[in-house]
Amino acid sequence: MERPVLWIHAEALGPANPALLAHPDRPALFVFDDGLLGGADEPISLKRIVFLYECLLELPVTIRRGDGAEQVLAFAARHRADGVVTSAWVDPQLGGIAATVAATLPLQVLEPEPFVLLPEPVDLRRFSRYWRSAGPRLRPDHPTP
Amino acid sequence: MTPSAPVSDTTPPLQPGRGDLPRTFSDRDALVRELAARFPRAEGGASTIRGGSKPALAALEAVDPVRYAASRNHLDGAVSGLSPYIRHGVVTLAQVRDTVQRRMTRGPGPVSEKLLQELAWRDYWQRLRRRLGDRIWDNLEPLKTGHPEEAYARELPADIREGRSGLACIDAFARQLIDTGWLHNHERMWLAAYVVHWRRVRWQAGARWFLRHLLDGDPASNNLSWQWVASSFSSKPYLFNRANLERFGAGRHCPGCPAAAACPFEASYEVLQGRLFAGEASGETT
Repeated sequence: MERPVLWIHAEALGPANPALLAHPDRPALFVFDDGLLGGADEPISLKRIVFLYECLLELPVTIRRGDGAEQVLAFAARHRADGVVTSAWVDPQLGGIAATVAATLPLQVLEPEPFVLLPEPVDLRRFSRYWRSAGPRLRPDHPTP
Repeated sequence: MTPSAPVSDTTPPLQPGRGDLPRTFSDRDALVRELAARFPRAEGGASTIRGGSKPALAALEAVDPVRYAASRNHLDGAVSGLSPYIRHGVVTLAQVRDTVQRRMTRGPGPVSEKLLQELAWRDYWQRLRRRLGDRIWDNLEPLKTGHPEEAYARELPADIREGRSGLACIDAFARQLIDTGWLHNHERMWLAAYVVHWRRVRWQAGARWFLRHLLDGDPASNNLSWQWVASSFSSKPYLFNRANLERFGAGRHCPGCPAAAACPFEASYEVLQGRLFAGEASGETT
């Protein structure tokens, strides 16, 4: 991928966004997607939108509103991009947008630095089980971060 | 509202296109007006809590693992206020971890790892969400309250949503949620327990209400915490009483409460369990 655009989503609105760090000179886009704003039944309140917007104003991104995947693809076409770079997500709705984008253009997903690396499989039945594995690895005197 | 403007430090790299949203505003009021016009279905005004990495880094700078461990359960305790910034990746969990670890090793003796553990809760919720996807909207386990699912109302009653239940504490929490989009963790738990156990409303209705307003609203930690209170992701339902609220509530709510003489929280845990749950169900407390 030589001329990608960057898709910035609401889980990585800081200067440590791995796509922005990897491609500081490439055009970047954030989309206010109505589905991600809480859908038809429960739209998020204005204070949440203001908060997101204030985060976005610190980042070198174009801000648009509309369908997430359509907007990302149109932005890529506008900049004659040969692919899209983004950062990993947890929200499955972001995964849906990513899948639609990836059906048309190469999509590279960059992982942020993990909080703690745990041997698989991680036992998530209760926090106490997770903590038994994560706690010792997080202590400041643990040999490997 | 303060006049300083959230005007960008950085210039967008390329020419603006048709349909791009504006990036320059004369001040914060102008930003809020513009967004209110563009998002007419989004209710309310702006929070006093601002977005961006400057307030995030200031909050990170102020983090104190020792004071946090000693006071975090109290409403006026030394909590970090970082949750909205972590939620949206303005600062990453790894950045906060590094700061906390550095500060833990600064003093002569061992420091409580409580703050690290709270960060780990977020990582835990995120890992669970990845595994569960949208199933976090379903009960992960049967409720342990002795009541069937159908006993719980589907919708949040208007008096709670509008902060006019007549209970000073509950109404203060609701108003703070709506006005600032941030609640202390104990306030979230008290409010959630009231909604689910005292008013017998499905946790999903409360979770949707929180997601609408909380600046850190994230279905992972939000829904799974509601499930923890409700007992569909814990071995017991979570309960509090007036003594607990007075102990940790910074003395803010009970004096002058119109319902003080008939406080629904004024009882021992044993009595409350008998009143709120059916059969042998008992409650989890803080």
